[in-house]
Amino acid sequence: MKIAFTGQPNAGKSTIFNGLAGYKTVTANFPGQTVHYTISKVTVGNETFEIVDLPGIYSLTALDKAELESRKYILSGQADVIINVIDASTLSRSLELTLQLAELQVPMVICLNMIDEAKRKGLEIDLARLSKIFGVPVIETIANKGIGIDKIFKSAKEAFNKKLIPQIQHFHKDIEEKISEIEKIIPADFLTNIPRRYIAVKLLEGDAELFEKIKQYPEILAMVNKLREEIKISHGKHADTVISSERHALTMNIFEEVTKIGEPQKSLREKIDDLLTNRYLGYPLLFFILFGIFFTVFEVGSFIEEPLTDFFDILIQKLPNFVSEGSFAYFILKGLLEGFSGGIGVAIPYLIPFFVGLTVLEDIGYLPRIAFLMDSIMHKIGLHGKSVLPLIVSYGCNVPGVMASRILESPRDRFITATVSVFIPCAARTTIIFGIVGAYIGGFAVAGIFLFNLFVVMILGAVLTKFIPEVTPGLIMEIPPLRIHTFKNVYMKTWLRLKDFIVVAWPLLIISSISLSLLEYFKIDEILNQILKPIVSWILGLPEQTGITLLFGILRKELSMIMLFQALHTTDLITVMTKVQLIVFTIFTVFYMPCVGTMGALIRELGIRKTIFVTLLTIAMASVLALLARFLFSMLM
Amino acid sequence: MKTLLNINDGKRVKIIKISGGRGIRQHLQCLGIHIGDIVTLKKTSFLGGPILLEVNGSQVALGKGVASKIEVEEVE
Repeated sequence: MKIAFTGQPNAGKSTIFNGLAGYKTVTANFPGQTVHYTISKVTVGNETFEIVDLPGIYSLTALDKAELESRKYILSGQADVIINVIDASTLSRSLELTLQLAELQVPMVICLNMIDEAKRKGLEIDLARLSKIFGVPVIETIANKGIGIDKIFKSAKEAFNKKLIPQIQHFHKDIEEKISEIEKIIPADFLTNIPRRYIAVKLLEGDAELFEKIKQYPEILAMVNKLREEIKISHGKHADTVISSERHALTMNIFEEVTKIGEPQKSLREKIDDLLTNRYLGYPLLFFILFGIFFTVFEVGSFIEEPLTDFFDILIQKLPNFVSEGSFAYFILKGLLEGFSGGIGVAIPYLIPFFVGLTVLEDIGYLPRIAFLMDSIMHKIGLHGKSVLPLIVSYGCNVPGVMASRILESPRDRFITATVSVFIPCAARTTIIFGIVGAYIGGFAVAGIFLFNLFVVMILGAVLTKFIPEVTPGLIMEIPPLRIHTFKNVYMKTWLRLKDFIVVAWPLLIISSISLSLLEYFKIDEILNQILKPIVSWILGLPEQTGITLLFGILRKELSMIMLFQALHTTDLITVMTKVQLIVFTIFTVFYMPCVGTMGALIRELGIRKTIFVTLLTIAMASVLALLARFLFSMLM
Repeated sequence: MKTLLNINDGKRVKIIKISGGRGIRQHLQCLGIHIGDIVTLKKTSFLGGPILLEVNGSQVALGKGVASKIEVEEVE
């Protein structure tokens, strides 16, 4: 039996899904978190259920990519039962989706989640009555506390076995007449497994995708347009607005019938929320929260890192005691150890605290509030508030940053935001900034590099938006209530994110470290350095041995630094490179080429051609900026 | 005609008209903002920027551009 979870964004589908399937999807207190759907098999007793977690949708009118995915799946008719997950505290709005789902005529269960939140708002919901109106089971859950989710399979089975198909709620008579007029003329072979009524309603609403498909029947198209025009004349509003108001009126009626509204409980949460989005205090708070997180990340990170890397350094130094130095085995082992320590010693100490910080911000619901605060400022560079979120995530890792650009509705905003995200120094590049500029020049220089980067990012955003002018609707975004999530969720999410690093990036790091070691053994590194010499030595003025490290930085950015020590045969860079060279090297690594993982994400989000464009852009910008830094600092220092 | 940008914080308003394309209209409808609805303007951000609305118990942020397209009248 296939069970699909669907509902509006941030209703808690993923939390319920995780409760049933063990942790598979990443949840957040942020609308639109699930972009791909996750399928999992769960066995209860002697029965196996296949459960599908779909991206949240506000309605069956697809607005963004995630919604389109969801709708496609639901319409494909693969699901035996639909579980309509509803955030009970926003019942009136959520029922609009329920009405549309009912039109699909698939057995359904209504799951009122976050019932505690609804009670806090003073809503009391009559489950029996709601169940009677739609003719399907209605259950209550508090998913983040695990309450009620055991009832889901039982109700799903009941809905499936008894074929509990939701009752269609009818519009006013004049609209219903128009719907049946269209229903009658839709050919039987047009989208065979989708109910006629659904098609008719969506056509009346002017749904873009269905309009494209119905074009092969010009007489139907003409009829639909005629009826839409008639509605517009008789109601004085666009047909889609009329239908949406009809739906709205229906849901308000149902809402009033099934709920009793009492006094909402005023709480500390509202006061904190008010402060976080305060027009003056919100900004210093934003600064302190973000700064606090990054500061903690580096304090905690370096605290763990030092003993770990020291341990591996000693191990590598003692290596000649076991295998003879210069032998093939020695180079393999050395590469292996260096790659291994690169992961455990450099990346993980910084990644864990960052992921914890990000998860906490996400779960509490602070990220949408940042979008609200930053909207005006982002408008100055031609984007809007939502774009700030991928940028913040990018400070941890560009891969989720690029992926987060999906939350933007317009392709143009998605492209610009993803492009700009790539220029944000991720945790790996931050370790380079700290490890090179921080260690040999000082804290102010580090701050300088970050500010310079931010400046370049803003300019780039402004230039790109000038080149691709387009009127975008701007920010329209739900701000979910602040929520305190369980420790378990933070722990599981951090682990899921870290697992991605361990299984994908770390092996890559070890393999590339071994191959660099082998390149050295076979003396190929010198050839590659000669090939890269024009850029490395002539333009950037760096020692030619750094060429190979820049090449490996494409695999994982932190490799550039780790390999720099190796390539220059020293642990004290200042003895072989000047301060200017260190700055130039750092600036180049911060800006040039997205790493392999990021390129993969870019290809998925933007396609090959745009990825190549972004890649070339980063190389060009890195060269120009590094060259600029070279001349500027040569004069100053 | 007054839009959401000409309203003081904390006022309750009734939505009279939503101009702009179908995309905006539908997006707003999805978030529970319809013509005839009564909403509360919770706050206006810095620089007259985005505004925060309370709609049937949930909060929605709207950018300046969108807010300027929504005509409203104050209710008591």
